[in-house]
Amino acid sequence: MGISELEESSLSLDGKLLRFMDQLELLEEKRATLNSLIEQGWFTMSKARYSMGNKQVSALQYASEIEPLVCVHARTLDNGEVDFCTERVTQSKESGKDVRSIEDIGPQEEGVRRRNKPQKDITEKEANDKAESQKAPEVTPVKRSDQNPQQDPLKWFGILVPQSLKQAQSSFKQVIELSAEIATLQTAVLNSRRELRNSMKDKHVLVKTTSAAQMDKVAD
Amino acid sequence: MAGRGKLIAVIGDEDTCTGFLLGGVGELNKNRKPNFLVVEKDTSITEIEETFKSFLARNDIGIILINQFIAEMIRHAIDAHMQSIPAVLEIPSKEHPYDASKDSILRRAKGMFSAEDFR
Repeated sequence: MGISELEESSLSLDGKLLRFMDQLELLEEKRATLNSLIEQGWFTMSKARYSMGNKQVSALQYASEIEPLVCVHARTLDNGEVDFCTERVTQSKESGKDVRSIEDIGPQEEGVRRRNKPQKDITEKEANDKAESQKAPEVTPVKRSDQNPQQDPLKWFGILVPQSLKQAQSSFKQVIELSAEIATLQTAVLNSRRELRNSMKDKHVLVKTTSAAQMDKVAD
Repeated sequence: MAGRGKLIAVIGDEDTCTGFLLGGVGELNKNRKPNFLVVEKDTSITEIEETFKSFLARNDIGIILINQFIAEMIRHAIDAHMQSIPAVLEIPSKEHPYDASKDSILRRAKGMFSAEDFR
């Protein structure tokens, strides 16, 4: 019985060790990808600096109000591991707001023009009212964008930034996502190590007890 | 801020911080306390260590990214941090490529196969 128990513990130890090795291998792979992405980001940032000027891409350009556009959700799993996942505020919404703010100039001018023509027939007024009601919802997002100071960090460095800076931004965005995955893997590796260590200690105790039992048998 | 998630803090040289801030991780809170530290030539080790410890103490930070050469300066503080949250990630810098043998996590994992573990 003792031997089969020992075999079982050895098998589970092997399984844990293999899982640990797999995790380390995956961690190494992701690390390599992260390093190459960061390098790519720096290279394109240097290109942007070359075209914009040395002082144009530096810490001096950071905005006075900075709002995070990405956050990370940490979820503790049952086995003690922590799962990190990133969530990003979509920039498409913001660009949509920009477009609307330009379009909003139209209704304002129309309102002024209508005041000059008060004696229009009712049907045209109704048509105008309908048009106004249709355009009314477009006003609200502009108000929201005024309240929300979130801004694309690219704009800190100018309105017309070179393509290379945009490429640098996209590289770093990928790095951020990858770093959350690496953080998850790191906690998994540490957790596996803890498990493996405990299993090894258990096995040592088991080996000692079985060998003691065998010695007793031999002595008898 | 997106949802109620945690922030990603950065301790690094100018290019690293600029890159990650471009990526959208930066925050200046109500007390105008940033979640990043740009380490320059004249930045003292004490300042780096204090900032690192303040990031560890903040409960709104989920991941701390730190350049490996800066992590080397405050290795004792990084080794002393055993919690899963915030996770500390060592990243390369322009002048100092990433060396896995210096990484706190991998050194801990490597420690698995030391003679001590087999006792």
